[in-house]
Amino acid sequence: MINILNGIDSTSSALNAERIRMEVVSQNIANVNSTRGPDGKLKPYQRQQVVFETALKDQLKGAGLPGSEASTVRVARIESARRQPRMVYMPGHADADANGMVAMPNINIHEEMVDLMSASRAYEANLNVVKTARGMALQTLAIGKR
Amino acid sequence: MAQPLLNKPSDITAMIEGLFNQTNYVAAKKMLDVTAMRHEAIASNLAHLETPNYKRLDVAPNFATELQQAVAARSLDQIQSVSPRLAIDTTAVASRKDGNTVQLESELLKLNKNFMEHQLETQLITGTMLKLRLAITGRS
Repeated sequence: MINILNGIDSTSSALNAERIRMEVVSQNIANVNSTRGPDGKLKPYQRQQVVFETALKDQLKGAGLPGSEASTVRVARIESARRQPRMVYMPGHADADANGMVAMPNINIHEEMVDLMSASRAYEANLNVVKTARGMALQTLAIGKR
Repeated sequence: MAQPLLNKPSDITAMIEGLFNQTNYVAAKKMLDVTAMRHEAIASNLAHLETPNYKRLDVAPNFATELQQAVAARSLDQIQSVSPRLAIDTTAVASRKDGNTVQLESELLKLNKNFMEHQLETQLITGTMLKLRLAITGRS
């Protein structure tokens, strides 16, 4: 099928990837104080982060068609941050150790907010591309009209 | 008895083809193709705003010079044989540590510039067609 909106594959894949990134950030923020894992064992939540990678467009791959160099993006994996848990002195906490220290998740809330904003900016930029593609398609359809 | 001006079907086809084979018109069509292709490149670049080691794409720079030469030579075949393609933009430098060469602001500006170019080219083609229609029907 002909593609009326140019570059829509790249853009939709990016919108999807950025949305996943935002979901991961919201998960991190929600678990900023979780000291136990889902099984109830004492294990502070670990910060999750997404890794993006380039994927070639399937239908154009290897065909050598013009425009086939443009690629899509996908989430390669979601991995845990390699950082030590944040130790906080809270002797009254149920999960405190002998010295009164509690292992809190290795999450920095400011870092998460910055990540959230940059994901939201990237999302906006990609929406802008769709808007422009739509405008271009309308102009093309209006060729020959007064 | 006067000979009719067009007596063979091939004459009519040749005439109709002639209407749409002016160099400027063909060049405008070529430019429209390039604009659509550049939009695809910009869409890909903006999609990879956060992908490590992604290098930004653009229309290969030799296209502009080739089309200029073809238009200057007023050669229809030469204009039609110019084939634009996307290539990695070697002039872009990475401003971040992850090796990504896409910059959000410049990419959005290029997106808007490309949109205006597309508008110009569609209007150019529409203008040519309307003039033809005026010449054929006698009313605009």
